Amino acid sequence: MSDATTPTAASFLAHHFESLEKQTHAARLGMWLFLATEVLLFTALFAGYAVYRYLYAQDFAAASRGLATWIGLVNTIVLVSSSFTVALGLHHATRGDGKGTRTFFLLSFLMGLVFLGFKYVEYSHHFHAGELPGRYYAGELLGPGAPMFYALYFLITGLHGVHVVVGMTVLAVIGWRAGRGAYARAYHVPVELAGLYWHLVDLIWIFVFPLIYLI
Amino acid sequence: MADPGAVARNEHEHVEHGSHVGRYAIVWIALLALTILTYALSRLHIPGGWGVVVALSIATAKGALVALFFMHLWDQRGANRLVFVTSLVFVALLIGLTLSDNATRFRLANPPGSEGALPLGPTDYPGPPPAPPAQRGVGY
Repeated sequence: MSDATTPTAASFLAHHFESLEKQTHAARLGMWLFLATEVLLFTALFAGYAVYRYLYAQDFAAASRGLATWIGLVNTIVLVSSSFTVALGLHHATRGDGKGTRTFFLLSFLMGLVFLGFKYVEYSHHFHAGELPGRYYAGELLGPGAPMFYALYFLITGLHGVHVVVGMTVLAVIGWRAGRGAYARAYHVPVELAGLYWHLVDLIWIFVFPLIYLI
Repeated sequence: MADPGAVARNEHEHVEHGSHVGRYAIVWIALLALTILTYALSRLHIPGGWGVVVALSIATAKGALVALFFMHLWDQRGANRLVFVTSLVFVALLIGLTLSDNATRFRLANPPGSEGALPLGPTDYPGPPPAPPAQRGVGY
């Protein structure tokens, strides 16, 4: 795709699709299938969390008090707002305004950075306090529950953090391409799919926040 | 049902030409309000295990808002919705069956307290010795 000229609808059509519309639907369906596997990936961890919270309810509540709830709250607000700006970026793409898409994706990218910054503060605090997973736990709480809580805490928030980094990379690449006019009003599926991925990262966090921080 | 092309065109129209900015803004404000609400309710320490029910209900409402309006499942054709709903069915199966297994276990052969014995449930495990009550939201 040349960046000098505005691409026409026909230039997006891959030869194995009958029409751009079918190509769009196929891309969306493929993305939703991928998102379904992502949901199940996190569900495995949430199932482990459910079992151990059931077994060690009081330990989990005590261990959760070692977390800074305000950071969880601020990060929730940051991620929810970044989803909003991603949605606005898609809105600009539907109007054929690639520069607008770039601006809003950049905003979301920066909010992703803020999120990771807070996670860094949290993780470094836990490392200093010895609140580590499993047998590396050296915190104040006794009993088997707190090490298990921190194992699940690091697994769930760590895997989510990896998704935030991947999502930021996707937003950066797609936003940059949109700013250079790679997509058009007639075809902006990559913008839409990048947005879907970011919304999923937000969606997972919406469940992580009450389960990890608000026990 | 009669004309799948009409459905596809409808979806096309929606995604291409409908302005969703107002809707996005309303959903965003609702998400912020629900976030504050779930935080405030958690400080009340709702007794009897209902706290987690309330928290997960609010999270589900927020998740539904994101999936339906930010992710446009509201506007999209059946196949995408079916994929997502199917994944939710498996979420329910995985967590529901795992939890009900744990909740209905009888005493295992390992005597309680011995090595390898599982705690049998919330009632069997008294919890750790009382730790000094740390305050929520320690500032660091």
